[in-house]
Amino acid sequence: MNDNVGKPYRARLGFAALLATVVLAIGGKAASGAGERPTALGSAPAAVGATAVSTPSTPSTPTASPTTAPAATTPSVTASASPSSSDAGTSATRTVTGDAIDTRFGQVQVKVVLRGTKIVDVVTVQVPDRERRDVEINDQAVPILRQEVLTAQNAKVDSVSGASYTSYGYAWSVQSALDKAGV
Amino acid sequence: MVGWRGPELAVRLGLTAGGLAVVALWWVETSAVSLHGAGQVLTAAGRVSGLLAAYLVLVEVLLLARVPAIERAVGLDRLAAWHRGLGTNVVLLIGVHVLLEVWGYGLTDHHQPFGELITVVTSYPDMWKATIGALLFVLVGITSGRIARSRLSYELWYGLHLTVYIAVLLTFFHQTSNGADFVANSTARTLWTLMYLAVAACVVVWRVALPAAAVLRHRMRVEQVVREGPGVVSVWIRGRDLDRLGAAPGQFLLWRFASRGQLFSAHAYSLSAPPTPDRLRITVKAAGDHSRAIERLRPGTPALAEGPFGLFTARRTTRGGGVLLIGGGSGIAPVRALAEDLARRGRDVVVVQRARQVEDLVLHGELCALAEAGLLTVHSVTGSRDRLGFDPLAAPYLAAAVPDIADRDVFLCGPPGMTRAVVQTLRQLGVADQQIHTEEFALR
Repeated sequence: MNDNVGKPYRARLGFAALLATVVLAIGGKAASGAGERPTALGSAPAAVGATAVSTPSTPSTPTASPTTAPAATTPSVTASASPSSSDAGTSATRTVTGDAIDTRFGQVQVKVVLRGTKIVDVVTVQVPDRERRDVEINDQAVPILRQEVLTAQNAKVDSVSGASYTSYGYAWSVQSALDKAGV
Repeated sequence: MVGWRGPELAVRLGLTAGGLAVVALWWVETSAVSLHGAGQVLTAAGRVSGLLAAYLVLVEVLLLARVPAIERAVGLDRLAAWHRGLGTNVVLLIGVHVLLEVWGYGLTDHHQPFGELITVVTSYPDMWKATIGALLFVLVGITSGRIARSRLSYELWYGLHLTVYIAVLLTFFHQTSNGADFVANSTARTLWTLMYLAVAACVVVWRVALPAAAVLRHRMRVEQVVREGPGVVSVWIRGRDLDRLGAAPGQFLLWRFASRGQLFSAHAYSLSAPPTPDRLRITVKAAGDHSRAIERLRPGTPALAEGPFGLFTARRTTRGGGVLLIGGGSGIAPVRALAEDLARRGRDVVVVQRARQVEDLVLHGELCALAEAGLLTVHSVTGSRDRLGFDPLAAPYLAAAVPDIADRDVFLCGPPGMTRAVVQTLRQLGVADQQIHTEEFALR
């Protein structure tokens, strides 16, 4: 015996149940992660193992510990002469390459350009680009993150909405570069 | 609910568990951190909707894939009703998926929703295929709606419905190439793909290969067409090894005939006489274009039958005692076959035949002949409710005609309105839900 005969509201109830499932799933998920993300540097997305990054809180000298993390690339500290820098008398810029940080969507790696201890630029080496979606997200997020670093003059950037993983990787890569530079 | 019997409950629970597993896949694959901001939340909700919609589309296909286990547990008539009810929801859910994804992406990227829609469709991988697929789903949904359905020919509707297979294929690609749950996780992607392949295998085996083999084996042909009453004809069909079909009286088959307009789409017609090894009989009311054309079938026309289907059989009885069969209009066809079957098994059989007018009492002569042979009792009830001013199948009349009704299994087949009313009456008269067996006569 089919109860649906002549009872279209039952079908609508079914749709309501489907929507409720979606809302419950999203709500549950969001609730399960409440309070997990103050800043990108502070947050620790589950997919990124703690091993991915060395302890950046203990600053290391530029020459020390070339491989602090499994994912780290050789820290290439290039002291470029670059005499063209505007103000005479100031020290030359140097470029420090940060660690490549593994995130769920791929590696994030930046180079930090320093003049003395001042961060004058952050250059992206790599961000996740496997998917078109990644490219689109990161095209938005990277300029924001760069500006945040330049403004704050440290790696404590706020996570960019929609680009949590990239924000996380970006912050840690900057931090590792700063550590290497001894800033 | 008239008894959720064990096997049917198992099918329901199995399908629900599958849906929950799909949500669980998303849950495991998603970090709570990624739900940051309105855009991300909307995108995630869109993703869950999409995953569920994809799963339910496969459920829709599976429900009507003629898988014997599901068929036996639920019955094709009810599966068709599930399919219909769920179908609307699936199409709506696909709409929700598209809306939320585009809106969510737009918020995250700071794009206008319409611009974002264009971007997503034109530049994301496999999205143009998914777009065509989604449009096909919507088209099929609209043409299956009540309003459109009454204005379209069966053939057009059926043809559009078949494009769903293309839509399923087209929408598959965007799931594995864009879906965050699949891009990064090859295990999930493999399982997901296997799920699609399993459903495809069911369709190929039970909807294509086995029916084709049966056609070659039984070689059915129309023997003759007999007029039974106003607009009602019986078709006798000859074939080989028809006992090997395993058709029981009360069941129906999906019929196609090799004549103009009859080959493309299949229609469900019940057997109206117990099958013999070389002969079957169906009785058809000329309600639509298709069934009107049945009247003009020529002897010798090849017939293709898929089935048998339906749980409206003697096996369904819950007890060894008496049986009441109620047939309304052309719903008398399976009742006629089942009545003879039950009577020959020695059961105490009462048949109530309901018709609008005396001329519409088709097959009544055959039932009377069985009654004269002492095999069963027949009551006929004629006259429309409007003209009579009362419902002759209301509780007092039914109780008077069949005093021991509460102790009988009741088989009921007729138009949906009558079925609903009589089920209410039977409950009033103390017939337990497990004793009520119906055939959804409106199956198309």
